[in-house]
Amino acid sequence: MSVTALQHIPIGNKMLAALPAQEYQRLADKLEPFDLKFGETIYKPNENIKNVYFLNSGIVSFLTAIEKRSTLEVGLVGNEGMVGLSTFLGTTKSPNSAVVRATGIAWKMKATDFLNECRENILLSRIVHNYTHLLLIQLSIIGACNRFHPICKRLTCWLLMTSDRMGTGKFNITQQFISNMLGVRREAVAKAASSLQEKQLISYSRGNLSILNRAGLETIACKCYSIIKEEEQNYLN
Amino acid sequence: MSIPVKNDVLKNHLLAALPKQEFARLEPHLESISLTLGKAIYESGDKMTHIYFPTTAIISMLYIMENGATAEIGIAGNNGLIGSALFMGSESTSSRAVVQSSGDAIRVKAKPLQAEFDRGGLFQKLLLRYTQSLMTQISQTAVCNRLHTVNQQLCRWLLINHDQLETNKLVMTQELIANMLGVRREGVTIAAKKLQEKGLIKYARGTITMLNRKGLEAAACECYQIVIDEYERLLGEYIPINRNEYETAGNK
Repeated sequence: MSVTALQHIPIGNKMLAALPAQEYQRLADKLEPFDLKFGETIYKPNENIKNVYFLNSGIVSFLTAIEKRSTLEVGLVGNEGMVGLSTFLGTTKSPNSAVVRATGIAWKMKATDFLNECRENILLSRIVHNYTHLLLIQLSIIGACNRFHPICKRLTCWLLMTSDRMGTGKFNITQQFISNMLGVRREAVAKAASSLQEKQLISYSRGNLSILNRAGLETIACKCYSIIKEEEQNYLN
Repeated sequence: MSIPVKNDVLKNHLLAALPKQEFARLEPHLESISLTLGKAIYESGDKMTHIYFPTTAIISMLYIMENGATAEIGIAGNNGLIGSALFMGSESTSSRAVVQSSGDAIRVKAKPLQAEFDRGGLFQKLLLRYTQSLMTQISQTAVCNRLHTVNQQLCRWLLINHDQLETNKLVMTQELIANMLGVRREGVTIAAKKLQEKGLIKYARGTITMLNRKGLEAAACECYQIVIDEYERLLGEYIPINRNEYETAGNK
């Protein structure tokens, strides 16, 4: 894709946006727009990572299998980050899977190009370092949240993070899907969702979920939500 | 703090794996430090000044919840390091690092650390790969905490510690274990008693003696193996994986 064509698409990804225009243009030839389709697997555990993705919009989840029957979301990426970081850290295989859980657009780049650029472009490599640090913090907080917080708070936190990254308060999502993200039984999701509904914070029927009262949700969510959000907002400063 | 003896430095596998030239550049910046049980190396949000490479100490990274509850997110002994934030371009992190088994560590100030890291040699490669293995450790600990019994978690935790100790004895209070696993002290007491009844450990006067390693492995969840395998996959080509395989009196 030519630089001129790229310039017509706003740089939604914060990592790329943090590069000076000149540095960004150097990368531009190697970036290709990529549609993130809901439910699509970007890579499976232990599969070779051939490309990296800088998200402009949408969400990609890192899922760990739990005892072969279910999954748990251990981390997530929106426009603050990238998918395929493992390549930078020295392995082309990731132990987790990466799955699109909200439709969006990403810039796709060959992993080999990405690594060459990181070697030559000190600014890019610094940004990737900063992102690695952010991801470590995010994984830690989500892990601790999983450990301590009741499902109702976790669901609230999860809905807010999802809504932030999608830029909307309305989404189609099944209880089964949420249960695979939060690593709890579907029944537990149903119960937590109905308690949020009773408080008129969300409406949820036939897979259509709408946030009705965002401020209300924020008061219920655990602090993990605001800590992660703050870290994300500041990580490139 | 003192100038370390080279043989002690080499007890940390990451430092031992360095080529001569890289090691020689770092050597003048290495300090030896003794760490006592329970000491906080840094608190969440603190400005970090050094990176730590444990040689005989074991250091735990804890995440602290708003109500003060803690959960271990990672452990570093002689196979690891504490303070990845420093080479990732940050000066602080959101966890607390606490000594969970007293012993020694080698530390390096931020500046010479970054200088060597930026040279892009094997040092950088090892540190980046270690970071990837840390990510797996953190995620897998989250999975473990979510799914597995205190009993299984305690076995996993004992095995990780055992791998990094020179003996099969760990000086440790139940209170500290409870803080690491993020469970109530009573839960740890019950789990430890069960393991003792099975003859896997002996727990007396604050010292846990691991008697039967294979038995502990069988009683642990798969999380232990997943984390070990990932470390080996990433770093095995540079670091000999010498797990403590010795048979102990209790196992004969």
